Amino acid sequence: MSSSETRQVKVLDNILKANDYLARRLRRDWTEQGTFVVNLLSSPGSGKTSLLEATLPTLQQRLRVGVLEGDLETERDAERIRAKGIPALQITTGGTCHLESHMIEQAWEQLRREGPFDILFIENVGNLVCPASYDLGEHLRAVLLSVPEGDDKPAKYPKAFRSADACLITKCDLLPHFDFDLDAARRQAQDLRPDMQLFQTSATSGQGLDEWLDFVDVRFREVRSGGAGRESGASAQAATT
Amino acid sequence: MHELSIMRALFEQLEDLARKHGASRVIRLEVEVGAFSNVVPELLQEAFKSFRQIEPLLAQADMDLKKLPLVIECRDCGDRFSPSPVRYRCPLCGSGRTRTVQGEELLLRDVEMEIPDPQPETPSKPKQAATNQEALS
Repeated sequence: MSSSETRQVKVLDNILKANDYLARRLRRDWTEQGTFVVNLLSSPGSGKTSLLEATLPTLQQRLRVGVLEGDLETERDAERIRAKGIPALQITTGGTCHLESHMIEQAWEQLRREGPFDILFIENVGNLVCPASYDLGEHLRAVLLSVPEGDDKPAKYPKAFRSADACLITKCDLLPHFDFDLDAARRQAQDLRPDMQLFQTSATSGQGLDEWLDFVDVRFREVRSGGAGRESGASAQAATT
Repeated sequence: MHELSIMRALFEQLEDLARKHGASRVIRLEVEVGAFSNVVPELLQEAFKSFRQIEPLLAQADMDLKKLPLVIECRDCGDRFSPSPVRYRCPLCGSGRTRTVQGEELLLRDVEMEIPDPQPETPSKPKQAATNQEALS
């Protein structure tokens, strides 16, 4: 005779807890090793790779820098970074629209052999929606918004901007050619994240790149001197604002 | 757009729970989705249906999705507000010192499972489901 029982279980667990747990472990390891990690988010084509190409050679003169590149397909972005003499590893997600911490863990195991690194940049898959939900263990999250995209991106994609510590308005050399309201973009970004650090940059003219690097440097030193950076990724800001 | 990835994470959690409790199938689960969680409840429900078709553990399961509105609290004046569009600035005093009270959740609240009797130690469905999952991701 076969019978069965029905059991009700209270769970109350975050659905992304496996990702977040691994992300916290990665952040702890990186902090202990002295590697400062930056996660770059943006739409496709906002200039994440161009920003890295324009800034990393300068940074590399005094710090050891590595890059993890996320894309659905191709090695192109990692090749662009390696062409600058900087160790880079491509993560191809094969269709997944964002990076998750287990992908970072695997890729980091490989890239770290070329280390040690003072700073690791993670270039997320170009997408302003999904990457915002995934903590990758980074200490600093920056979102890029390019002038041709329009100044209303923060209002349209609030989660990405809410979850970021810094916002770079890129391709500012194109401002004369576009109807882009800098104040409106700044206001919307700071409505979502009142302590948001904003930078006006151009990888072409070099505008704002030193300011951005100085900011990265300050945060890097904070983590080196014992600060832990973001505590729980996408939801950390709730505690800090 | 990443609801399938969310569903994969949810399924892995359900598999773990079923293993832990020796359950043969999931009957019902309750999930809470915050309005500012970046997840579209309808798309998550669709992803759930896809999993139900290929995962025996979920074959007869129902998912109750509860939507939670975004509630923000001002740390300076204590006002609570539900802005639309989302804005983390207090509408009353203008302060930017605010926090989310509710609305960013992506939570598995409860699960109802069937536990076959009298073999409470029978491990349910070991890793066999992994390949099906790959196909979906």
